[in-house]
Amino acid sequence: MNVAQQLVNGLVIGSGFACVALGWTILLGAARLVNFAHGQMYMLAAFICWFALTRWGLDFTAAAVVAVLAMGVLGILMQSAMSQLVVSQNLTSLMIVTLGFGYMIQGAAGLGFGGSPHALASPADKVQYQIGGIWFTGQDLIIVTVTLALYAGVWLLLNRTRQGAMVRAIAEDPKLAQIFGINTWLVYVAVFMLEAVLVAIAAVLVAPKTPILTSMGFEEVIMTFVVVVLGGVGNVGGALVAGLALGIFTAFFGALVSPAYTTAASFAVLLAFLTLRPEGFSFR
Amino acid sequence: MNVLDAADLTVRYGGSVALRDATLAVGAGRLVAVAGANGAGKSTLVNACAGWSRGHASIAGDVRLDGRSVARLAAYRRARLGIQCVPEGKNVFGELTVEENFALVPAVPREAGRHVFSREDVLGLFPRLHERRTHKGSALSGGERQMLAIGRALLAGPRILLLDEPSVGLAPRLIFDVLTVVRRLVDDGLAVLLVEQNVSAALDVADELYLIERGRIVGHGDAAAMRQDERIAQAYLGGLAEVEP
Ligand SMILES: Nc1ncnc2c1ncn2[C@@H]1O[C@H](COP(=O)(O)OP(=O)(O)OP(=O)(O)O)[C@@H](O)[C@H]1O
Ligand SMILES: [Mg+2]
Repeated sequence: MNVAQQLVNGLVIGSGFACVALGWTILLGAARLVNFAHGQMYMLAAFICWFALTRWGLDFTAAAVVAVLAMGVLGILMQSAMSQLVVSQNLTSLMIVTLGFGYMIQGAAGLGFGGSPHALASPADKVQYQIGGIWFTGQDLIIVTVTLALYAGVWLLLNRTRQGAMVRAIAEDPKLAQIFGINTWLVYVAVFMLEAVLVAIAAVLVAPKTPILTSMGFEEVIMTFVVVVLGGVGNVGGALVAGLALGIFTAFFGALVSPAYTTAASFAVLLAFLTLRPEGFSFR
Repeated sequence: MNVLDAADLTVRYGGSVALRDATLAVGAGRLVAVAGANGAGKSTLVNACAGWSRGHASIAGDVRLDGRSVARLAAYRRARLGIQCVPEGKNVFGELTVEENFALVPAVPREAGRHVFSREDVLGLFPRLHERRTHKGSALSGGERQMLAIGRALLAGPRILLLDEPSVGLAPRLIFDVLTVVRRLVDDGLAVLLVEQNVSAALDVADELYLIERGRIVGHGDAAAMRQDERIAQAYLGGLAEVEP
């Protein structure tokens, strides 16, 4: 086994995990909301990108932008539909409603895009680099750099801007935020839109690496839950570390044991970790 | 014209009525106190003026700010128009620093009737906050939190300040400081509605007093006149004087 190669693979896989989990981390940690349509939104973003690429003949970047914008709009629409539940912080109903949204998205995508697998062909995926015997693609490089940049951007947004302080204030006490003159509904819409945009960015980065299917969804983002919990729920820095660590673990586990059981092994790690360190990788 | 006019305010929590037909007015440069026993409905009354409540409440009646009805506006809109409420209990963000609590305040539009305070003004009133500006709200003492809560309400450019028991849990010396600051603001023309359980303390600083019992306003008058009132002295002042150290 080439250890350096597996480390790089792990870093790429882990960046993907972290990227897919970023929106969820903000949603849960910053706004105390959940979205179980996350996986189907990932799928839909990949298909919108694929459609714009193959049917409208856009180039990959333009198609990706279309997908991200479309998902932003969808995020706003979903949030508006759920606004009563969100403002009253009714988490149980939100779980069910977002789960329902997920199945509706999946059904609509199945009708619109069909049930057969497609390849989301990104030109950067064809570019190969080799440095000191380690191979990676242009897509890999983009995944890692964009993920790091997104995490840095989100961290700055949450911790260094007035808008970020508003989000943290609402996470702590939405009622009190009203007294402070904050339109909580608008902030929830913005956070949900951000979640949708981030999952769309993750989709156009990560989905080109595997065939896409309208029935994919939950399984594609299952690692999000491991990352979010391992990272210490809602902790942006923790989610990045957890994502990268999990990616490296997955790469080595796949190489040494079997790629078929990496998800099971990741959850085993999660359980072990939660037993020993219930607060996750806490950096607060 | 009054800064705040509340007419026939009735508040229900679920089925139970916590406030019935309360009518009250606060003029510019007036410090109006609301006093009454625990559970009488004092907080319910001031929160209803702000259109706010911790739990689910249904509020009926009219609230006018400088003559304009705000009864249909959400709490955050009233706050932006200058009804600045400092609720009792948790009234600052513990996860945010003092600076960040201040930074949440939206820019104050330049319009008549608003009392504009700069950050320097507020830190001048409460110098402790300056030393604590990088500390989280949860790391502040009770008194510092109260200063932060009042300070941020001032930064937001109030037309009227609603203070719900700002002195609760404070040392006597701090109570005096806070009430002195409030009095000074009122003397500069600010309208203040102050909830105070202690009738005697309320009468010391206030211009007017409303007495509230079991959800109803049962008395109202100038502080000076109420001080002389035999019945009030017997029902409120005498009893409280004995409890006080
Ligand atoms: N969120 C709520 N849900 C249900 N009932 C409430 C709620 N808030 C207050 N009440 C009830 O309404 C009545 C008035 O409460 P309120 O808080 O206005 O009293 P208060 O005069 O401010 O008392 P205190 O001096 O203890 O602060 C009480 O009987 C209280 O139990
Ligand atoms: Mg009260």
